[in-house]
This record gives sequence, C-alpha cells and structure tokens, in this order.
Amino acid sequence: MSEFDFLSRIPLGQYIPTGSIIHRLDPRAKIIMFGALLIAITFTPSYIGLAIGIAALLLALLLSRVPIGFALKGLLAPLPFLLIIAIIQVFFYSSALDPDILIKMGKLNITSAGLLAGAMLLIRFAGLILCLSLMSFITSTSELLQGMTKILSPLNRIGIQTMDFIMIIQVTLRFLPFLAQSAERIAKAQASRGSDWGQKRKGLFNRIRQVIPMVIPLFIISLRRSENLALAMDARAYGVFKYRTSMTELDFSWSDGFAVLISIIVSLAIFFV
Amino acid sequence: MEHVLPPLIQFERVTYRHPGSDKSSPPALNDISLSIDPGEWVAIVGANGSGKTTFARHCNALLLPSHGRVLIAGKDSAVQSSLPQIRAGIGMVFQNPEDQIVATLIEEDTAFGPENLAVLPAEIRARVAAALETVKMSGHKEQLPHLLSAGQKQRVALAGVLAMQPECVIFDESTAMLDPRGRLDVLAEMQALHNRGITVLFITHFMEEAARAERVLALNSGNLVFDGTPKDLFADLHLLNTCGLEQPSTLMLLREIRLLNPQLANLPVDFEQALAQIPQYSGSYQLSPEPSFPDAGEILIDVEGLNHTYLRDTPLAHQSLFDISLKVHSGAAHGFCGATGSGKSTLLQHLNGLYRPQSGKLRIGPYDFNDPHLDIKAVRRFAGLVFQNPEIYFFEQYVGDEIAYGPKNLYGRDGLAKRVRDAMELVGLDFEKFKDRVTYTLSGGEKRKVALAATMALQPRLLILDEPTAGLDPASRRNLHSILKKSQGSGVELILSSHSMGDITELTENLTIVSKGKALRTGNTADLFNDAQLINEASLGQPSIVKLAGVLRARGWPIPQRVVRAEQLFNALRAMNARDSYE
Repeated sequence: MSEFDFLSRIPLGQYIPTGSIIHRLDPRAKIIMFGALLIAITFTPSYIGLAIGIAALLLALLLSRVPIGFALKGLLAPLPFLLIIAIIQVFFYSSALDPDILIKMGKLNITSAGLLAGAMLLIRFAGLILCLSLMSFITSTSELLQGMTKILSPLNRIGIQTMDFIMIIQVTLRFLPFLAQSAERIAKAQASRGSDWGQKRKGLFNRIRQVIPMVIPLFIISLRRSENLALAMDARAYGVFKYRTSMTELDFSWSDGFAVLISIIVSLAIFFV
Repeated sequence: MEHVLPPLIQFERVTYRHPGSDKSSPPALNDISLSIDPGEWVAIVGANGSGKTTFARHCNALLLPSHGRVLIAGKDSAVQSSLPQIRAGIGMVFQNPEDQIVATLIEEDTAFGPENLAVLPAEIRARVAAALETVKMSGHKEQLPHLLSAGQKQRVALAGVLAMQPECVIFDESTAMLDPRGRLDVLAEMQALHNRGITVLFITHFMEEAARAERVLALNSGNLVFDGTPKDLFADLHLLNTCGLEQPSTLMLLREIRLLNPQLANLPVDFEQALAQIPQYSGSYQLSPEPSFPDAGEILIDVEGLNHTYLRDTPLAHQSLFDISLKVHSGAAHGFCGATGSGKSTLLQHLNGLYRPQSGKLRIGPYDFNDPHLDIKAVRRFAGLVFQNPEIYFFEQYVGDEIAYGPKNLYGRDGLAKRVRDAMELVGLDFEKFKDRVTYTLSGGEKRKVALAATMALQPRLLILDEPTAGLDPASRRNLHSILKKSQGSGVELILSSHSMGDITELTENLTIVSKGKALRTGNTADLFNDAQLINEASLGQPSIVKLAGVLRARGWPIPQRVVRAEQLFNALRAMNARDSYE
C-alpha cells in the first residue's frame, strides 16, 4: 500500500453494495436492529452475552457477503489503543485482596478476575467497532438518512425541525471521503516540496510545526468547499419550503419486522444471559 | 392589448459591492443594465476577477444587488416570496463538479432539487429518470459520486438541474476542469438545451466556446464593456486586448494566413468552410528536403512495464496504469495527453517518487526506483512536480515564506534568500515587491506564478507540471507559456500533462498519448497529432492548427510535416512568398 493511500485506511463509512438479504432490509429496520445490538453489547455484564453478540455479528457479516478480511481490517487500526486500555483494566481490576492471585508484582497483582475484565473490555470494544462498521457496509448514507428522517418525523409534529439536522449529517458523511482525498493530495503536494511524511519529529513543538502545512490547506479547502456546497444547495432551492419530499417511499414489510424481532431477541439474550 | 412576454432576466442599473469591501474600491459589478429573453444562448467572457461569476449569481438571486434591481420573469429577485419560482426556473451548474454533489448516490443527488420543491415522490422518480437519460448517465445512477470522472460528475450536476425543469440553465465555467471530450459533451448538452428552447447562459475562458453562442457579454473590472454577437466581439482586437481576452485560435489562424498569401485572401470566416475552400497550391515553391532531425539526447526517463493499482488489496481496488513503457529524452519537452482518468496524473506522480512502482521498472536521470536505498529527497531535488491547481495547497501567509518552504526542506537555510529571489525572478515576480504580499490577496495568475516559483526554487533539472494552465484566463495562459519557454532556455527539462491542446502544441516536442491507463504511443508531437485515427482513439481532438496544416498539405501546399505551432505555419507561408516574389 502506498503511504498516500489515505482512503483505504478508513473502512468505516464505506458502503459496499453486494445486494445481500441484509442489504435489502428497510433502513428503519437496520437502524433499530443495530441500535439494539449496540446498546446490548455496550451494557451487557456477562461474557456469554458478549460471545453471543460477537457470534451474531459474524453471522450477519457472513450474510452480508462483505469480504470478511476487509471488515476485520477495520479492527487493526484501533487495536493498539484497545490493548493498552485492556492492560490498564487488568491491573485496575486486580486487587491484593483477591484470593485468586495469578502473578504478584510488588503492589501490582494480576488476578483471574482482572484478566477476565480486560478480555471483556477488549472484546466489547471490538464488538462495537465491528457493529458500527458492519452497519456502514450494509447501509448507504442515503438509506441511513431516509431511515432517520422517518424515525424522527414524529418530532416535526411537536414543532422540532428535523430537516436541517438530517442535512447536517448527510453533508458530514458526504465530506468524509472527500476529506481523506484532500488530505492525500495535500500530503503529496507538500511531499514533492521536500516535507517528510512518516518521519516523526521529536518534541511537541516540532510535531505541531510539521502538521501545519497539512492542516491549513485542509481547513481552507474544506471551508471553500462548504461555501461552494452551500451555494449549490441554495441554487437548487434548498430551504425555500419548510418541508421536503423524498424520491423513495419506504415499505416496512413482514420480513423487516421479523428481522427486527430476531435482533431484539438476540439483544435481550446478550443482556440477560 | 397585445400580450408581450417579459424578458426572462432583466438587470436595471445593477451595482454590487462585496459585503465588507471598501467604499473607495471599485464595485464587483458597476451599473449594469441589460435584458435576456427566453430562449437566448449567451456567453459571458472576461479575465479572472472581472465579475463574471458575480453577474451570474445575480441571475438566480444567489446574490442581490447593492443598488438597482434584477427582475426575473418580471419578478424582483429581492422579494422573498418569488424565491421558489426563481430557484426552480433558473438552474446553475458550477465550476467544480465535486462541490455541487450533495447526496451520496447519483440518483438521489439528481432528486435533491425536486425534493426541495416538494414535488411528489412518483413525479420525482420520473423526472430523475428522464434527466439522467438526457445526460446519458442512466447506467450510473447507483454509483458513488466520488468515483466518477470529472466530465461524468458535471453531467450529473446538469441532470440535477434539469430535474427541476428549469427555463434557463447557467453554466459557471463548467467546462474549465474537463478534458476536450468532456468539454464537447457539455457543449453538446448546451446546444440540445438551446434547441429545446431553454435559455442558456455560460461563463467561459475558452474563446472557441464563446464563439458558439448567439450573444456574448464581455466584462472588464465589473463593467459591461461589450454586448453583441461573437463575430463583432472577435473583430475588435483592441477591446479583446484591454479585457485580457483573445481571438479564438481558428479565427486568429485564418486572419493571419489571409494576410500572408493572396491565394488565401478570400477564405470565409467560418473555420470548417474555410478548410473546404482552400485552393490547390499554384506557386512554384517547393520544400527543400526536410533536414534530418538532430539525434535525441540522453535518456532522461525510462519507464518499463509500469503498473499501478489504487487501494490495492481492498474491495475498492482499481488498476489505473497498465504496463506503461516509454522513454523521455533530454533536450525535448515532453507532453502527456489523454482524457480525464486516463492515468496521466498517476504517471506523473511516479516520476517524482510519490508512488513507487508496484511492478515494472522506473529510472529518472541517475535514480533507479527499484533500488531499495533510493534517496527520495535527491529525486525530489532532481524532478520538481507542480500539482494541478497548486495554489490551493498554500499554507504560508507571505509569498516569500511559501516559496522558501521547499528549498528549506531540501537544501537547508544556506543561500535560501538567493534561491527564493532567483526563482521569483524566473517567473517574473519582483522579489522586493512580492515577497511580503499575502498569498490570498494575489490574482489567479499571480498565485500560479508563486506556485511555480515554489517548485523552481528547488532548482530541479526536470520540471513536471500537471495541467499548468487549468483555470487561467487567456492573458495569464500566454504569460505562463512564455515563462516556461524561458526556463527551458535556461536548461530546465519540461514534462507536462494538459487537456489544453494549446499547451501541448506550444510547449512540447514529444508527446505520449495515454488512454485508459495505457501508453498508446510516444513520438514527435506533430507526427502524433497528424494521425487522426490515433487522436480519435484517445478521445482527443486534433488541434485546429494541425487540421489547417493537414488540409493545406493535401492541396499541394509546401508545408513541412512537423508543423504544430502557429508561428511555424506562418513561417512556411512566408518562405513561399519570399520565393514567389523573388521570381
């Protein structure tokens, strides 16, 4: 991989249309399903529940026909951080009073309960990342937005405008791949003028100085682009009426309901087993 | 009472000042009055910063006049309640295709406008399908926008406007970032809209495009200095000069050759007709056998079997270079020509060491890229690369600091000031006057010069330029050409890629034609352009000078084979005159 291929480093936020059963679900169903799983995995106290959660996610990944290797690659980038947090957790959780001490290192002890807590933390975060990236592989941004529009639409009735909120999310998501592309171009342009990317300099001040040639153009390009985008949206009549219509009409079918039901049962199982 | 349709767009003494601008500085638009009727086809021309875009944005109420008023279909644009009608009636396609795509799928982006107008879902679907069909993008409706080519994105943007069923479409330099084929596509779309009775306004820096319109408006520092037919505008050389414009190259060529040879004196104005009416040569001058071409210099760049795949090892992988092999010799400027997405930029970025060969061989001067111990900084000192639109990567506040960034990285602080001064002088920026100017206050042409100086300050042996004249007005374009020729005179080897046939014919000796990631052919620029079949295969257009020389040659005129520059053609005609009058 080239040092400048920034796009490939962010598997999160990349829709991979394979046309699988999961891809074809109603976006509202997808949001509810993954929302339920996300909450269950976050709060479950039991390791059997976590194991069920991971198994359910892997099954969903298989059904989605997204290349498994690519999906798991998303776990690699945050892995060092997760490991550090998990190790801290091991020590934090282990206490000298615990009868079940495995290793004794002065004041620091490692107990089986501590190891279990560290492992659970690691698996819990891996599960959350997997859950979020799977959601982004199977849901196009537009589907996500349609789903959210529909789910949030009752708020319009009590006077809260959801249109602008949805638009903010849409534009943010649209900008993500663009930011990666811009960063890549800037890095290249500065590298060809002799800047060293990849070579980390010593000292906070030098590190900050090193990113300035990257950050300033990125800011300016982003500001200019958002200004242009705002103009383009204006020119296409955004906001001339208080409400918008949508090209797609969603259809919540029996199979969507079934999928939601399964996911809720699984989530309950994760939480209570 | 006879019912008269009001003009579609009417300016009544419109003056506009940018908010916060100084009262004493000249306004962006100055006291403009005009009206545009339904169905007209109007081109808007002027130098960078002359107020073209400001003018266009008044036509759909994106900007409101500081003084005077704009009436759209009889309604004052400043009245809030007419906004839906104005926005629906007058659509706009912007310069940068990426900046105007809102949604994450093509189809939904096209639906954005009608959705805002609260059109019913079934109707939106019908309009979207029809609009995408019109711009021939139906096959891509479920694609992701950032993976389309620039020309395709521009067609999508147009579809988004058409789905609102407008009476008028404004194109704000919509062809500036496109390759020749993409540009022709957009022009064809304009023609089609015009034929359907839709009003078309377009801003352009390309005089050939402006010549197609029925009416031209020329702006100069916010003033409307011309309103009439293209023919009248291009006949007024003095006016063109003051506005920083030029005649279309076809017109300029015909004007000159009419003067140079009595046999050609009566050619018509229209280029195609003129080509058809060029008479058989009747003089006695014959070409002396062409001198043998000087031996090519040392091999400067040697590429063999180069491949490159983006996002390798991911589901989104796509190969952009296929088995590229070519050689570039010293002493002859080398061009790369090809449609957008043909892989030119990827190839150029290899030459500067930004990409290392995934497979195949690459050698630049003394540097072998397959050597694991390659000193990449030495490569960058040897081969300087200027990116497309380089000024967007500026990060320093002052011109001097911006130019000093590269040499400071690659040579350190010793002699830094001299390097910066030399580079600035090379590009024609006065050191004392410009070194402390704030980069963002410079004009488009000046920024481009600073970007060029920033690379020249590395004192590279090889200067690689990606689309050096993109977005520049005619005067800045000519200026840049002369700077590049001068630097060539001082021993710099030029490598450039460009969509502009003018850049290629003016600046290069040799050319590689790239198409779909493959190097189709490398050879003398004139020889390649004379090969109509090859040019067509690469989706390029033959430059008008090559067409003209070709037709003359076919009718027996003694024109040397390798004519690509206007000056070369004129010299050949002059040589005939000298001979004929001597007899």
